[in-house]
Amino acid sequence: MNPSPSPFQRFRLVARQELRLLVRDRSLWLVGGLFLLLVAYALFNGMLQTRQRDQAQAALVAADSQARADQLAQLGRIMAGTELPTPFGNPANPANMAGGLGAQHAVMPSAPLAPVALGQTDLFPAQFKVTHQSKVNFLHNNDIENPWHLQSGHFDLAFVVVYLLPLLIFALSYNLLSGEREDGTLRLLLSQPLALPTLVAAKIAVRAAVLLGAAVLVPLAVLLIARPQALAAPGATLWWALVVGTYALFWFTAVVAVNAFGWSSATNAMVLVIGWVVLVLVAPVLLNIAVTQASPAPSRAELAARTRVVTAQAMSQNAALLATDYTHVDQPDTLVPRGGRLAMSGRAMANYRIQRQVDETLQPELERFDAQQARQQALVARWSAISPAAVAYEGITALAGTGHSRNAWFLAQVASYHQAWKDFFYPRIDGGLALAEADFPRIPAFHWREEGQGAVQAQAARAVLQLLLPTLALLGLAGWRLRRYRVA
Amino acid sequence: MIWLIACKDLRERLRDGRLYWAGGLVALLLLTALAVGASHQRGARAEQAAAQSSDYQDWLAQGARHPHDAAHQGMHAFKPDAALALVDPGINPYIGSTVWLQAHRQSEVKFRPAQDATGLQRFGDLSVGWILQVLGPLLVVVLGFNAFAGEREQGMLRQTLSLGVPPLRLLWGKALALAMALAVLLVPAALIAAAAVALFAGSGERLDALLRFAGLALGYALYLAIFVFATLGVSAASRSSRVAIAVLLALWIANAVVAPRVLSELSRALFPSPTRLAFNQALAADLKATSDKTWMQAFGTTERWSKDVPLNQWGIALKLDDQASYAVYDRHFGRLWDTWEQQQAVQEAGGLLLPLLAVRSFSSAMAGTDFAHHRDFTNAAERHRRLIQDIVSQDLVDHADPLGHQHFAYQASPALWARVPAFDYHAPSAGWALARGGASALVLCACLALAVAFAWIAVVRQRAL
Repeated sequence: MNPSPSPFQRFRLVARQELRLLVRDRSLWLVGGLFLLLVAYALFNGMLQTRQRDQAQAALVAADSQARADQLAQLGRIMAGTELPTPFGNPANPANMAGGLGAQHAVMPSAPLAPVALGQTDLFPAQFKVTHQSKVNFLHNNDIENPWHLQSGHFDLAFVVVYLLPLLIFALSYNLLSGEREDGTLRLLLSQPLALPTLVAAKIAVRAAVLLGAAVLVPLAVLLIARPQALAAPGATLWWALVVGTYALFWFTAVVAVNAFGWSSATNAMVLVIGWVVLVLVAPVLLNIAVTQASPAPSRAELAARTRVVTAQAMSQNAALLATDYTHVDQPDTLVPRGGRLAMSGRAMANYRIQRQVDETLQPELERFDAQQARQQALVARWSAISPAAVAYEGITALAGTGHSRNAWFLAQVASYHQAWKDFFYPRIDGGLALAEADFPRIPAFHWREEGQGAVQAQAARAVLQLLLPTLALLGLAGWRLRRYRVA
Repeated sequence: MIWLIACKDLRERLRDGRLYWAGGLVALLLLTALAVGASHQRGARAEQAAAQSSDYQDWLAQGARHPHDAAHQGMHAFKPDAALALVDPGINPYIGSTVWLQAHRQSEVKFRPAQDATGLQRFGDLSVGWILQVLGPLLVVVLGFNAFAGEREQGMLRQTLSLGVPPLRLLWGKALALAMALAVLLVPAALIAAAAVALFAGSGERLDALLRFAGLALGYALYLAIFVFATLGVSAASRSSRVAIAVLLALWIANAVVAPRVLSELSRALFPSPTRLAFNQALAADLKATSDKTWMQAFGTTERWSKDVPLNQWGIALKLDDQASYAVYDRHFGRLWDTWEQQQAVQEAGGLLLPLLAVRSFSSAMAGTDFAHHRDFTNAAERHRRLIQDIVSQDLVDHADPLGHQHFAYQASPALWARVPAFDYHAPSAGWALARGGASALVLCACLALAVAFAWIAVVRQRAL
């Protein structure tokens, strides 16, 4: 007589049998094939758009480098006396170079996992041309994007995982127990030495292996081949797989809990879809509304009006300088540095002072916007647990470097760079000191520093925890209902 | 008989609780969205009107100063929130509402509200439009998926047909039942929305807003009718309710969730937008070439402000330069915006099979929150900027510096500022909006014809035996 198989052996037996059934049934091929197709398209799209953004940034950096090299060469010709500078395009003039002439782009490069979630990349520019003017002048120079596209969002892997993966889980599992019961096979199965939880766990394991294989392993393989940078961020990659896995686990547990109530397959499908509509479509939208109502952003119209008032005051205070004529029209030689100094024209000096005054006055107002946005995001982090979709989306975009936190990190670096830029040019403009060739290498350059991986992974860990808690609650509910499950 | 069938089906929807639960949830969301939209609009309209007024008052009160300095500081144009934005904000969260009308260059509209929102903004906006576009079809599916298939499973369909009831009458009766169920939920919400629109619209735009609302309601009626017939057709063609619900949910997901993103990517691939760098470089090159040509023709040189062209020529040079640049801006921005409209046309065409794309476009056109309306506002703001530039440049021509070295010492009197009118923008009429949204409306009609034909074919195949 054979000894009774262990629970693990029974699990393996059922899983193997389930896999065999699924393979013979067309639904696995249909759902698995469709999911692979969606994942492949989303990955292709993510890779394509990340590459296009990287190329556009590379073109910007190249154009900046070329412009700086041209200015240096031009300065050489000016100092050699072979070229007379123009008043607004003079590389020796620190006021010109601090403004649009010398400004260079601060660029936030794509993170290694960027193709898995395009996130906010279309909405928040990843590059700013930083001048000595107030940030209000350059922080809103957006990338070119059709507003219809911004409204629709991207078809990326985050979309496939957050929106579509639950639906494919439903398609494979909505009748996990109800189907067996309706076919009359559940009674037969449970007449064997097989516990209901073992049967459910084995069925779920097979389906999870198929879907998670496509949702995690395929993207990982593609990323490692097509974007080797992902290898340099193994922590983020691992956390991404964990967030996706936990999110899928939540929905699998929801399927088990719904099946455990013993309803018909049609009712199960309806309840699951309604749950999906509420948690994926409605809850994040309601949460967004609640957060913006609870902590509204300051008025941009007021900011525009304030900018106008501040500029008017600054222009009025510098009216005398603004009224001076251009001396270079009659005396072009005044544009050429003499003894390391340059005669700053009255109007150029006035414009510099106006911009400086506007910048200093508006800075606290701009900080109000930043603080308000940070408060809103803190509210989202606290309350997003009401929607696993919101938690997963925030976690995935954080790991992909396309979410709110990396953008805020970039803006903080832009603020430091802006300050360094002003610190370099202000004394030179105030002192009428011409820029020399030796000064060029000392002009501040933006160097991107990557966001601390500890903070990113803490965000991902919080997402995993926020997903695990409702999963455990659903698991408890499912266990309780399964103990009372009536096979007949 | 059609009426009898409709009453029987409606009674069933009420008895099984679907209308109460699913419909109640949608009605609750609709009322919440209306309250949120109305509250937002009241604040936004008051803020924009106050900002526009104070900006112009500042312009008038700026005292004596050099006209070119005044032009550099310019003024702002604030886009007024459309009366129907409380129903469908369209693309408003993703475009700005403030344009700086400054000297020399055409500015783009700034301050996108979505940039001040959280990352959850990308899940969508709670608006009446969003609920009707996304959840409306799901409500139809939930109410109607077993209209034929359920009766077939229970054996009732065979009985009904054996009594000699023509299948097409069954179709019209069941369609009427679904229409009545939707009307019970949506007509009160529509009346409340119409009252809110009439209340918040300015006195001069109330009739136009209500006409737009009527068009918008008609568009949503067409949209939901498509799903009524598609649902009944699938229910009639399916072997069981289970198959019917699976097919209908797949169609709903394709229409509401997948289609906007896929068509958006496809339209971008077919008609790519330029990058910011490419756009700016092309614009700058064209501006320089045009300006050089203008200077060469007017002054025989391209060198700015030399002994050949002293500053007392500033006014005329500025005027010539600005006026030459207008065509350049029109060409470059026009090309970009035409590309966006081509991208949108691709998405609208997809509405033939995935009607959300067509109704989204039609709804925002009627609400005045689509790109065509935004373009109209941007063009109006740019015309105002050009008016300011032309007035200022002409004043500089009239007051050219006779001394040759006191050009910037000239100060215009406040009377000059008063010659620039306030920026007073009014959105185009409902007829204009209907003409712009006409293609989407036609696509919706064609889609409805397809859905009716499909349901017709599926239903006439029903046999008693």
